Amino acid sequence: MATPKGGNFGKVLEIDLSKQTYKTRPVSDEILQQYIGGRGLGAYYAVTEYKPGKNALDEDAFVFVGPGPLSGTMAVSHRTCFAHKSPYTGLMTHAETGAHLASEIKFAGWDGLYIKGRAKKPVWLSIVNDKVEFKDASKMWGKTTDEAHEMMVKEMKDPEIRTAVIGPAGENEVPFACIIVERYRAAARSATGMVFGNKKLKGFAVRGTKYAVPVADNAKFLAAARVNKEGNMQGEAWEGIKKWGTGGLMELKHFLHGSLIVKNYQTTWFPDVVKIGGEEAMRTFWKRHAACTNCPTHCLKLGVLRSGKYSGLVAEGPEYESGGLLGSNLGMTKFDEMISLIEACDALGLDNISTGGVLAFTTEAVEKGALKPTDLDGLKPKWNDGDTYMEMIRKIAYKDGKAGKLMAKGVRAMSKEIGKGSEAYANHTKGKELAAHDPRGDKIRAYSYTMGTCGGDHHEGQGPQALGMTAMADSLCICSFTNFLVYGTGTDKIITDMMNPLCGWNWKTEDYWTTAKRIMTTERVFNVREGISSKDDRLPIRMYKEKLPAGPRKDAIFTDADQKDMETRTYGFFGWDAKGIPTEATLKAYGLDYLVADVDAAKKKYNL
Amino acid sequence: MEEKKLPDVLKKETSRRDFLRGTATAAGGALAISAIGGIAPKKAEAQYSVQTAPGTKPYAQKYRFAERQNCTGCRSCEFACSLFHTGNVRPALSRIYIAKYKDIVDVPVMCWHCDDAPCIAACPTTPKAIQKDAKTNGIVLNEKICLGAKCMKCQEACPAKYIRGNPDTGQPLICDLCGGDPQCVKACMEQAGNPQGPCLQGRPVGIGVNMAFRDVTPDQAGKDLANLLFYPNVEGKRVVPAKSKTKKGR
Repeated sequence: MATPKGGNFGKVLEIDLSKQTYKTRPVSDEILQQYIGGRGLGAYYAVTEYKPGKNALDEDAFVFVGPGPLSGTMAVSHRTCFAHKSPYTGLMTHAETGAHLASEIKFAGWDGLYIKGRAKKPVWLSIVNDKVEFKDASKMWGKTTDEAHEMMVKEMKDPEIRTAVIGPAGENEVPFACIIVERYRAAARSATGMVFGNKKLKGFAVRGTKYAVPVADNAKFLAAARVNKEGNMQGEAWEGIKKWGTGGLMELKHFLHGSLIVKNYQTTWFPDVVKIGGEEAMRTFWKRHAACTNCPTHCLKLGVLRSGKYSGLVAEGPEYESGGLLGSNLGMTKFDEMISLIEACDALGLDNISTGGVLAFTTEAVEKGALKPTDLDGLKPKWNDGDTYMEMIRKIAYKDGKAGKLMAKGVRAMSKEIGKGSEAYANHTKGKELAAHDPRGDKIRAYSYTMGTCGGDHHEGQGPQALGMTAMADSLCICSFTNFLVYGTGTDKIITDMMNPLCGWNWKTEDYWTTAKRIMTTERVFNVREGISSKDDRLPIRMYKEKLPAGPRKDAIFTDADQKDMETRTYGFFGWDAKGIPTEATLKAYGLDYLVADVDAAKKKYNL
Repeated sequence: MEEKKLPDVLKKETSRRDFLRGTATAAGGALAISAIGGIAPKKAEAQYSVQTAPGTKPYAQKYRFAERQNCTGCRSCEFACSLFHTGNVRPALSRIYIAKYKDIVDVPVMCWHCDDAPCIAACPTTPKAIQKDAKTNGIVLNEKICLGAKCMKCQEACPAKYIRGNPDTGQPLICDLCGGDPQCVKACMEQAGNPQGPCLQGRPVGIGVNMAFRDVTPDQAGKDLANLLFYPNVEGKRVVPAKSKTKKGR
């Protein structure tokens, strides 16, 4: 077991909340070379430690919080990955977020945090370099994410700590509760907030002053990191992201791509988008740009509402997803009301995307008569009704009343419960709500929704190669905006050039792809063990049945031929069979021999 | 002059106080301000030609100046500084750092290289453990003489509350301007991504700059900045729309 020469310390901090103890879990260079960190390492731990059918809310279930080998170096790398088994979908899952958390974990001397166990009373963790303290969170319990963050800063007397906390939604174990990092960034889409809430863990604060990331060959690495950064600074396409964030995509996707979602995916045409999109935000809302660690692409936009009911509200957004799901998807035409919904989700620790999906589904169900106001504590949701939506968000977060308990189940369980043909407009893949790209207008996005590990996720990679590159980006914990979306297929060289001098490895560009495929296949095996196969790799029914009624992609529909083509190309690229099961030869080629028996057992069990 | 480089999004009524600060800015930085255009250039260096115009000798950057509202909080200055001074990326050892105020604004906290240098005046050792380099205007620490954590008179004296202790040795982290070529300025200028332009700039003269800024603590600067940017929420207060009506949901 070799210790890493650079990039990693070779130690993961293992925290047991039940016993309130912590220890160092060594991790060898061989494993790191195969699974990198973040998402990959989380998948490795899950697939080796869990038996099929493991309850994701068991006491010994873990959440792996991983920075990557490049975090805290001169390379542009600032993502933190939360990898675990999702209690929402029952599958392997990962949630990434930006901000300054990842590098701080590295400066504290850790390659990741492995959090398991369940506390008896609410706790929060303070991690200062090598020292972990379990602190009483009973005063924090029930507080919003920003209040909890402020309390941690106050108690540790250090404004430079980096925090990750859950809001009331996570405490109440809403399955689409998320982690909020430093107030405005969310690690969402993965029920991580629910797992934290179940563990009675309000969050953690990290401060690292003691360590620097070791580098095997500093001069060579700095030169390679320089190339990486220059590419980012000069990428012309990213001038748009710098100026507009992703909020500017709302108009673009609406008027040009025909993929902006509108009213629970009924159409993609919504000319009122100009009232809630990036242009409007630029004119009336945004005040400053904020960046993650060492990143030249400052995509986060902060603004303040200067009039109306919510005058004085400081909020982040709209991003494309948050503005799409809580804006056009709900038919919102009032900018301030949309922003207040986004901010409410951030404050309560709810995933913007799933929440928007649930609200839109509920509205359509009421419109079509499948749900009655009596089922919803008298609420009558209708498009563009900000006040009712605000109340619904509150009900979801606190699981308040009949409505809250119903909506907090998510779209799949809701449609199962209410029936009455609601399956036809229940828009989810593998139990998770889709994001703000309509796959009929943006067909390549279907790869991400269906073929990605998490299901329903917009950020898994568009196309077979991109799926692999995203797996690498999430394991290296690099943002896609500063990685393969800038370099395209040249990413392998950029990354290999950095990884070799950093870690003292001897990678060739092929190794980049093998590792990508290994990580994807490991996660796939985990999901296959849970019964996933090609029958689940499908979009919501609406995408195959209803043509887009208007917009630039009028009459577009996702055909069976599109589906077939997508399956062939993806399974072919990763070496999976026609049912989407990794073959024995594939597993052996990626060094995953230890999973062959698991796959065989799953095949037998689920008749694949 | 100051007004010209603000994009529409930031154009708003300027209070008298902000106006005064704005003029202080312009006085100190008249030279460089004229070179700052609208949106971020493809190659940052090309635009900030005062320092790098071909054939001209870059001037010594004896003072630094921060256009605080342009700071994106990316901390590339911290990274560049610690890399230059220690050979490693370790922001805890950086001689410049970004303070967050209520998580809505970022304030670069740095040495203003005051002409009267209260920190040096307060240094109790003979000869002084911190001294100004006459050529570069940087403040250089003599680690052999410095009394370290048990003294820190310089920290107390610093009007900007800038000086931090080195977590390893306890001695003050103080800015030597990297011998006349401050790495933080370079890193900030390069990223220059913020459509308004970069935050940090280097100047040969500091008239007005250090006097206008040195008495502002990081906290006060954050308050000012939040006030400037987030009107009408001048306190930078968080207004949370969906507060719990019931104490506990279930």
